[in-house]
Amino acid sequence: MAVSTLALSRAMAELQEDRVLAEVKDLLAEGVAPLEIVKSLQQGMVEVGNRFERDEYFLSELIMAGEIMKSTMDILEPLLSNEKGDYKGTIVIGTVKGDIHDLGKNIVTMLLKGSGYQVVDLGVDVPSDRFVEAIKKTDAPLVGMSVLLTSCQEALRDTVDKIRAAGLKTKVVIGGNYIDDTVMRFTGADYFATTASDGLRIAQEVFGA
Amino acid sequence: MSDKQKLFQERLARYLTALDCGKPDKVPISFSVGEWAVKYTNSTLQEVYYDIEKGNSITSQVLDETLSALDFDVFGGGISLWWPPMFDVMGSKLYKFPGISLEENSTFQYVEEEYMKADDYDEFTANPTGWLLTKYLPRISEEFSEPGSYRSCVALIKSAAAFAMANNSAAKGWESWLGQHGLVPAGTGFSKAPFDTLGDALRGMKGILLDIRRRPEKVLAACEAIIPHNIAYGMITAQGDTTFPCFMPLHRGAYPFLSLEQWMKFYWPSLKAVIEGLWAQGKRTFFFAEGDWTPYIERIAELPDKSILFIIDKTDPVKAKKVFGGRFCLYGGVPTTLLTYGKPKEVKECAKRMIDELGYDGGYVLAPGGVVMGDAKRENMLALIEAGREYGVY
Repeated sequence: MAVSTLALSRAMAELQEDRVLAEVKDLLAEGVAPLEIVKSLQQGMVEVGNRFERDEYFLSELIMAGEIMKSTMDILEPLLSNEKGDYKGTIVIGTVKGDIHDLGKNIVTMLLKGSGYQVVDLGVDVPSDRFVEAIKKTDAPLVGMSVLLTSCQEALRDTVDKIRAAGLKTKVVIGGNYIDDTVMRFTGADYFATTASDGLRIAQEVFGA
Repeated sequence: MSDKQKLFQERLARYLTALDCGKPDKVPISFSVGEWAVKYTNSTLQEVYYDIEKGNSITSQVLDETLSALDFDVFGGGISLWWPPMFDVMGSKLYKFPGISLEENSTFQYVEEEYMKADDYDEFTANPTGWLLTKYLPRISEEFSEPGSYRSCVALIKSAAAFAMANNSAAKGWESWLGQHGLVPAGTGFSKAPFDTLGDALRGMKGILLDIRRRPEKVLAACEAIIPHNIAYGMITAQGDTTFPCFMPLHRGAYPFLSLEQWMKFYWPSLKAVIEGLWAQGKRTFFFAEGDWTPYIERIAELPDKSILFIIDKTDPVKAKKVFGGRFCLYGGVPTTLLTYGKPKEVKECAKRMIDELGYDGGYVLAPGGVVMGDAKRENMLALIEAGREYGVY
């Protein structure tokens, strides 16, 4: 069994779409627990992230990995309903008000999900109140705000202010291509990320997992 | 010859000398009036977008008043880029504009979707124009959803009329800005990299990045089919002009969207063919390389001498000068983020450094390194022009 889940991790890391789907079906047919299969896919995703860090994989590969993961989860998720509660933690994520860009948000969401976090994705052009509501509802220890337009920094700051005013202790990470230390301090966020793998590292720090 | 005409001739010679990698009397300075200017007026961006005359008059006001004491050479254009009514009358799904779906002072945004599906490739490649007319138009605009219907015919007439009205206003604006101030246009005409035509408008970023893994041959065939269209489009939109470069905003080719290997296979061959096709007709390309293009410098150097004007945004200026110097004119170098977050003194220091590094032997145009957004500060924009004349006289 260990050998076949290893093959699945490898196929995932190599982005062999057809092979991954075939392996998932075979493993299920052999009676392997769905959660075991998910774990092995996650190992593959971790390797995808590592290769991205080493500049061996680029955006195309990250997006491809996300698509493969999604196809496998379509099969596996219904079978996992009895095994809930095994997430490393919950993260709320969204693109801030005034901005409709979602590519970066979707990639980091995919990597976080692939690494075992539960991600509540609020979509794009998200008003500050919706972030606050979602954090209250899920009690998420980490919230991620994505932004591309420099003109939306006020929206970032406004959302962080609202979260603090609501007395929530949630850590805030802001992510986007142009984000740096200056923008982070301006908005009052706790962390910033410029790549999807930065986001993953910060989640690992916050959740200690 | 009037003073303005004389000024125009001097500035024209300065710009063309730099484009040919020569050393003019002064480093040419290129400047545009963008959305940043609106926040210093009583108007909202919504008003400026919808009332094209208002956009033109703010541009004129900046040129007449704010910039009256400053000397620059090349003009990149006024505030108004799109006139939303021309999209509204066709029920377009492509853009969000300030005031209706965005706040009144937000810039416009593009709604990226897979307007072309993965299984459309063969039909598109066989006849791109036919496919656009019969498949793409109905998908991007509610009014064209039934081609040939009464509704779609009316929409076609209305949107064509609106397009002509917008072009007419723009042409009048340009005529007065250039004529009254003796300014030289930065470019004429517009075109794109074939991979961007596919990746921006048709398949979207996600679609095209999956396609290069799932159906690479189809992507290559489609890019190949787009080449002659993009050459023709550049020449047609320039109305045949070959004095000024053809504007080409480049998107998906910036590093690190693609790996070097993917860039060489999918992005470069068809872009190179478009640039060479334009150059064969004497038309230079304004290689508007926003972002970082450093890893591709050696490949871009394969182009014929002087066939492009290369804009420096985040590309390493020293390396670009080393490889491109004497072969392609360089343009830009002042980061747009500095124009937003920096102080006039920092903008001036940066402009001086760029003149020293990129322009010491000519072949350089001082300008921002990309499209200047609405949050840029006026004092920084003015500092850029001041620095150009302060440090840029040979």
